[in-house]
Amino acid sequence: MNAPEPNFHGIALRTGELARIVRVNEEIKAIVATAFRINLMALNAIFLAKRAGNAALGFGVLSNELRRFAQDLTRHMASLREMTSGSVGSVTGVVQQQRIARILAEALKLSGEGVPGAREARRRGAARLAEQQSRLRGLDLRLRAAVEETQQLVELGGVLARSAKIEAAYGGGFSAALMQVSTDFAEVIAQIKRSLEVLGKERLVKD
Amino acid sequence: MKQAHCIYQDEEHRWLAIARDATKPGYIIDTNEYVVVHGDEALLCDPGGIEIFPAVFSALSAECDPTRLAGIFASHQDPDIISSLALWLEFKPDLKCYTSWLWQSFLPHFGGHDSTFVPIPDQGTTIRLDGLELQAIPAHYLHSSGNFHLYDPKAKILFSGDVGAALLPADNNDLYVQDFSRHIRHAEGFHKRWMGSDRAKRDWCERVSRLEIDMLVPQHGAIYQGADVQRFINWFAALEVGVLRS
Repeated sequence: MNAPEPNFHGIALRTGELARIVRVNEEIKAIVATAFRINLMALNAIFLAKRAGNAALGFGVLSNELRRFAQDLTRHMASLREMTSGSVGSVTGVVQQQRIARILAEALKLSGEGVPGAREARRRGAARLAEQQSRLRGLDLRLRAAVEETQQLVELGGVLARSAKIEAAYGGGFSAALMQVSTDFAEVIAQIKRSLEVLGKERLVKD
Repeated sequence: MKQAHCIYQDEEHRWLAIARDATKPGYIIDTNEYVVVHGDEALLCDPGGIEIFPAVFSALSAECDPTRLAGIFASHQDPDIISSLALWLEFKPDLKCYTSWLWQSFLPHFGGHDSTFVPIPDQGTTIRLDGLELQAIPAHYLHSSGNFHLYDPKAKILFSGDVGAALLPADNNDLYVQDFSRHIRHAEGFHKRWMGSDRAKRDWCERVSRLEIDMLVPQHGAIYQGADVQRFINWFAALEVGVLRS
């Protein structure tokens, strides 16, 4: 064939792409479940602060903030989840197009020189693949940006948890209970951070 | 590797049989594909599965300009019949696929879109190929519930899909049936099991007995020609079908 072989591997998609999306989804699910736990923990902390009265006013304010944080986090994760479920369609499209292109290339190679229509078919296939790959790259970029934004939100959650620990020290007779709650907050937020780090390393496409 | 054999030629009217692939993996059933060429257009009958597309495409291209393909005739919906559809459309996006109306919304799972499919009504239809009129003959329940064969009155060839199919031993690569009584042993189990309706079988036998047929070309196995065509119809008419085990 005189026509150059199209670059079907501009993005190296192999068998693990859907598995990677599943991993991303699982990580998101884990964070959503954790965010729900923070929400409940914050509610409990608000009640505890009310019981502690004036001694835990600051802790009460922080518990409210942590609850709002948990709600924001849930919203962020919902939008991340929407993105990954959309990416299943895009990845499948690319994998399918690559398979079609591979088999068609094999057929054209077997057919020898000068099969009428071969050049056009290759050009069409390469254009369709490039379009699908570009859509997938766009999704990947949006996903990364969304993960970064969520990481910043979680940083704020970390600050709130640390402040809650400080406020717990002024909780008088409730100090030990408030300290336990704020330590739980810090641990859960650290867990979310770890999950987001994993998520930040995942790529829908390999460059 | 598959090769295209010209089984009929009259000026610009040809039938090509892409048959008997000795090199295909043993776990894939062997299939025959047929191409009707008339004037500037060609129709591919039961193009086969994805795995054999390269072999079919190259065999077809060796004998006929593939850009002349105007359509695909899918006798029914099985993967060995039409799962390569997306690949043919990748090569020629405007191809039409003629198939039973029953499969119109199923076949897009293999590829194609709304405008790809030309549904054939239950009673059959005429398919035009650069002025040639081919007839889609009903063969429902043989074996698929929406099933058609293709008759070319000019060439007197009936493409009979799975009817007439024989699962031949690997060392038998004859294009035509050489000895009917030996050949039909390889067809018996297949027809008993795959053809589920005795009534549909009788209807089909009556219908095709009224046609002038020089060659009956099935999707698996060798081609029946001359007196073997009627021999086959008689044999099939007498065969008990819808049988789980012999």
